[in-house]
Order: sequence, then structure tokens, then C-alpha cells
Amino acid sequence: MLFNSLDFALFLPIVFILYWFVTNKNLKAQNILIVAASYVFYGWWDYRFLSLILFSTLVDFAIGRALSTQEDPSKRKALLWTSILVNLGFLGFFKYYNFFLDNFVSAFSFFGQEINANSLNIILPVGISFYTFQTLSYSIDVYKRKLEPTKDIFAFAAFVSFFPQLVAGPIERATNLLPQFYKKRNFDYSKAVDGLRQILWGLFKKVVIADNCAQYANIIFNNSEDYSGSTLVMGALFFTFQIYGDFSGYSDIAIGTSRLFGFNLKQNFAFPYFSRDIAEFWRKWHISLSTWFRDYLYIPLGGSRGSLSKKVRNVFIIFLVSGFWHGANWTFIIWGALNALYFLPILLTNNNRNHLDVVAKGSYLPSPKEALQMLLTFGLTVFAWIFFRAMNLEHALSYIGSMFSSTLFSMPKVLPAKVLVLLVFFMIIEWLGREGQYGISNLGLKWKRPFRWAFYALIICMIGLFMQTKETPFIYFQF
Amino acid sequence: MKKFLQNLLLFLAFTVVCYLCSLFVWGSSYTLGKLKPNVNYQIGYSGHSFTRLKEVKEVHDIDILFLGSSHTYRGFDTRTFSNQGLKTFNLGSSSQSHIQTQLLLKRYIDSIRPKQIVYEVYPRSFMIDGVESGLDIISNDRNDKHSLEMAFNLNHIKTYNTLGYAYMRDVFSLNKSFEEKLQRDMDTYVSGGYVERQLQYFKPIPLPELEIELNDAQWNSFLENIALIREANIEVIFVYAPITPSLYDSYTNNDYFNTLMKSQGTYYNFNEILSMDDSLHFYDSHHLNQKGVDIFNKELLDILNKKY
Repeated sequence: MLFNSLDFALFLPIVFILYWFVTNKNLKAQNILIVAASYVFYGWWDYRFLSLILFSTLVDFAIGRALSTQEDPSKRKALLWTSILVNLGFLGFFKYYNFFLDNFVSAFSFFGQEINANSLNIILPVGISFYTFQTLSYSIDVYKRKLEPTKDIFAFAAFVSFFPQLVAGPIERATNLLPQFYKKRNFDYSKAVDGLRQILWGLFKKVVIADNCAQYANIIFNNSEDYSGSTLVMGALFFTFQIYGDFSGYSDIAIGTSRLFGFNLKQNFAFPYFSRDIAEFWRKWHISLSTWFRDYLYIPLGGSRGSLSKKVRNVFIIFLVSGFWHGANWTFIIWGALNALYFLPILLTNNNRNHLDVVAKGSYLPSPKEALQMLLTFGLTVFAWIFFRAMNLEHALSYIGSMFSSTLFSMPKVLPAKVLVLLVFFMIIEWLGREGQYGISNLGLKWKRPFRWAFYALIICMIGLFMQTKETPFIYFQF
Repeated sequence: MKKFLQNLLLFLAFTVVCYLCSLFVWGSSYTLGKLKPNVNYQIGYSGHSFTRLKEVKEVHDIDILFLGSSHTYRGFDTRTFSNQGLKTFNLGSSSQSHIQTQLLLKRYIDSIRPKQIVYEVYPRSFMIDGVESGLDIISNDRNDKHSLEMAFNLNHIKTYNTLGYAYMRDVFSLNKSFEEKLQRDMDTYVSGGYVERQLQYFKPIPLPELEIELNDAQWNSFLENIALIREANIEVIFVYAPITPSLYDSYTNNDYFNTLMKSQGTYYNFNEILSMDDSLHFYDSHHLNQKGVDIFNKELLDILNKKY
């Protein structure tokens, strides 16, 4: 079920009413309702893959229980590895099987050995990369004794399948989300209103910004050989806003929906396009994934400690794995490598924690230096997104080649007034709201009610008047 | 919770008012329309729908009612039928799909009371979403509960918005003084709903192959339309009007379509009955020019005369 669908517009109020009016007296009933709603939500797409979620839930629950009684370190390690292998095994099979097979065949044929191997027609289960990482975090935290293993199967099943963030995150840590299923949730007016506000802004980002940009990004990327350098720049820019609007929009709707049910999820995007360097960008982009890799991969590898070569190795590993996590394509790996190259000089000069505050805090405008830093970082990011969006490496390289041609300074052929006006409006609101959790979290809170409501109604009107007419799936569903 | 629900309802009411105001502003403004909002009110835009739908209200007890897409109002010349003593009317609009045909049938069948219906069937009308024609009819006819029913059937934001705006125009009687020119560009409106195009010839171009794949909503509406017509005891025949042979041949599964249509009743595929020429009898790939219309109508009349 898509957040931007009529199905979800009916589903959400029904679950909300059942949750707060029917099952509100009983915590277990509320958790069971969440599990049932989540399975309906997921099954709407393809019920067959519910068995994967169920299996993953049962395996990790059982491993958690076994870890609670097991003191022998080698047996504990074996249990942890069982969880890792089961979860990554599913992920590897569904997401990477064909990629590895094709690359093995290509590698052997490069050395003159022809191998006959048929690719399998595998459907990638939506959200598998997200819930796999979420359940893994549980097993690892229990293994490290950072978390008490749960005895409540329904709470655990609800944690694994919690519908707002099941298919595209944020990837919640068991330490943050699971305990929330143990406690009685009381309806909180301001939390619910804040949730609705965040859903509204997320929906605007998705159906107005991302989907409108997608229309032009697709035209330009799919016919890149026909366009001038300047139009290709526009294509990269449209994709830059498409992916941000799409993914952060999803996160906003997920977090907002969770708040309606009394849950707190962690912020997943913190206005990354206002970053002053790449390190800041990666602290603000897909935070739940970045911190996952930081805590479960980067730090165990040694992080930024140790020799120069170790530091370089660790940075490359984390960025390459992050790229590969997005999909079985060399374009994602190069995208990761490129970001590692951007990041390394900052790390090696110990400048990776320079910008921990909000840019131009308390001011309306950034300083010229900050503006320049943001522009440079933004430019680097836009360039890297070309690899992310391109169909394959060849396409990415030809796109970049055509972009940096003599036509770079010509008038772009694709310059849709509507999208440009919407992007200006969007960026102004995001800039004004950058000190909050999301674009409109603090905007207008002190205004009188008619003005505040008029502002929210304006956003709704813009959604109705400018949303893309086709229901488009979220990009991150494919990851 | 009580406060939350109260405020939510209040806010929703407030938003509905704001939304209607914004629809009115965006729908009325030509300048704002350049930003291509999801409201597309096009009164008197093309195909003379406004005049046709005005005229239909005065049409009663006719011999033949033609239903279908632009192939209908550009393909059945009411003058030819009138010369044979037949009172006919064209109830078609641009890209009219079966969802719109249903609306028009429900709205007008009782007042038109035709003896026979010639239902024009064209593969594309079964494949499209029907939004374009939906907007055309919303903009050029009075709106009632059937319009809302159609909007739900199409389930498209542009249709909802345009309908909201159209209702407001109806309430404020803003179309009262609107008059559509009977002659516009190369088109002339002929009483009875026919639109004659100045004689032009088509230059054939290579067309890609296309498979006919039915849209479920359109197919269901088509079946409901047949039931509706038969319930009213009106005889119906299905006619596939001529399109250029090159376009006809570009459909890879014509047999499938023909079998499907035959299964619903009397069906005449004029692409297989007549031998038309791409450049002589058409002004584009799927619309007959006047020469083509004359040939097609004569053949149809012969068939109808033989049959009845």
C-alpha cells in the first residue's frame, strides 16, 4: 500500500479508530492490531512475501530468547551468526543473486572461460533491506547485551513489521522502538497534531516536489543523448530534488503516522542540502542508515582510529557497502566510492566534525562563506546523483561527457515554469524551517489559528492543484 | 481525543472552503493556468461539445442515436441520414470512452428516446483512462449526480478539481451567456451533432505496432452501457468506423477485438467491409475526411436498409 494512495487514506483512519477506540484499554490488543494492520499494509502489495517477514521475526525472536539463557561465548557467537546469515541470506538471494551471477559469468568470460548460467526471475520483496537491518540490529544489540531480549512475541512482531516504517524506513533500532511497544500509549493531542503536520509536509514533498521533478528527470535521463549540457544539468538537478522529496517525504509520513499512534521515531533527514561539507551531508542524509553502518560496521572496523591506511580502508568500506545496499548495480557502488572520495580529505584533515550546528542559526540568510560552502557541497552531491540515477555505468559516463560539452552554457531546453516555482517555494520553506525536525514543524506555531490553518490549507491546495496525476511508487521501495 | 477530533473536523471544513476558493481562482485565471494546475476547465474548446450538448436537450424521438468518440461526431454525417428521411443525432465527444458514454446515456436516453443506437467501438476507447473526455463533458454540459459518479469512476485529481470548479460555475450561472462559434478553424458544426472538417488529406507515416489491451473499467462500463440500452428496449448495433489501413494493421490482435465485439451483438467492422485509402479518405490517421465520411455513411445506410 502506498502512502500516496486512496487505499492508505482509508486504511489510516480505520486503524486509528480501532487503535484508540477499540483496543485502547489493552496493550497486547493494541500491539496485535499493529501487527495485523502492518501485515495488511504489506500484503496489499504482495501477500506471499509476508512469509519472509514472519520467518525473519520468528528466527530473530527465537535467537533473542536463546541468547538470554546462553552464557557460552562461542555458542552466543554462533547464535548471532545464525541471525546474520539468515537475514543477509534472504537479502543476498533476493537482491544480489543475479548481480553476482552475472558478474561471475562476465569475469570468467573475460579470462576466456565460458560459463552457462541462467539468471533467475526474482521479485525483490519491497522493504527487505529495511526490515532486515532492523531485525539485525535487535540480534546484535541483544548479543552485545545492550538490550534485554523480549519475551513478548507480539511486541517483537510489531517492532519488525510496524507499518509506517516497514517498507522504506527509517530503520529503527530495537533499543529505541521495541521498548515503546511495552508501554501503554496514551493519546497526546500535541503529538498527534504534530504527526498530522509532518504527514502533510511529507505528502507535499512526495506528490508535489518529487513526482513533478521525476517527470522531467525521467525525460532527460531517458533521452540524455538528445539534450544539451545545460539541459542535462537540469536533469541532474531535478533528480536531486526528486530523490530528496521522495525519500524524506516518505520518512516524514512514516514518522508522522507513528506519532498519531503514540510512537516516536528518529529523524531521518535534517535538511541535507543545506550542508556545508560532505561530512555534514552524511550526518543529515538517511540518518538511520548512516548511523546503522557507523555503529555496526564502521566502529567495529576501527572507525577513524588507527593508521592512515586503516582509516582510508574503513571509509571506503562503509561508503561502498552503503552504495551496494541501495542496489545490485555498479552505479550505486561508484556513487558510494565517489562519496568516499569526497569524504576522505575532510576526515584525514580532521575537519569531519566542523559543522555540527544548524547553518546560519537564528539568521534569515547564510554568510557568503556559508553560502559558498553549501553551493559547493550541493554541486558535489548533484554530480554524484548522476551515477545513482543512471541506468548503468556507460550511461552515467556518457551523461557526464555530454554535460561538460560546449552546450553547457546554452539555454536549457527543459525549463518547466511550474516545477521551478514549486521548487523555490519548497526551498524557502525548508530554509525557514531548518532548525526544526522537518520543514513546517515550527513554522507558524506562534501565529493566530486562522493564519496557521490558512498556511496548512495552502499546502493542501498546492497538493491538490499541483500533485502529479499518476500514483507513483516511492523510489526507495526498490531498495 | 475529543478536542483533536473536533479541531480536525473544523480544520477540514476550513480547508474545503479554502480549496474551493483556490479552485475558483486557478480555474478562472488564464495567467495562472499557464502553470498547468490540476484544473482544466475548457468550455467550447474543441469538438463543439458545448453546442452539441446544448442541442441534445431539444432532441426527442429520433430514429438513430450515434454514440462514441470523435469518430462518431466526425464520422456520421446527419445530413446524409436526414436525406433518407432518418432523424439522427451524434452524441460523441473527443476521446469519449465508455465511462463518458454511460454518463450521457443516463443523462439523456429517456429524453432522446431513440429507436436504434449505433454504438461506435474503437479499440483505443477501451484502452484509455477517459480523463480527457471526462473533462470535456464536465466543462461543456450541466453537471449533476452522474458527473460525480463519473468522477469517482475515473478517480483522477484533474476530474475532481474540474468538477468542483464546474459546480461553482453552475451555481453562479457563469456559462449563461456563453455562445460557441459554429465555425471554428477548419471545423463547422452541423445540426445533429456532426462536425465537418474542411477537406484535407493525410500523409501516411509509419506507425509502431500496438496490442489491444482492454482497460477493465472501460470494459465494465461498456457492458453496463449495453445492459442499460437493452433495458430501455432499444436496438443496438456496434460499428467499428474506418481508420487508416496502416493504423488498423498496426494493431496486432484485431481478431481478438472483432471476436469480442461480435460476442456482444450485431457488429460491423467497416475496416474490413470497405477498402479505404490512407491518403484519399482521411485527414489524419484515424479520422475520415468528408469524402471518406460519404462513402462510409452510404455503406452504413445500405446495410441498415437491407437489415430493416
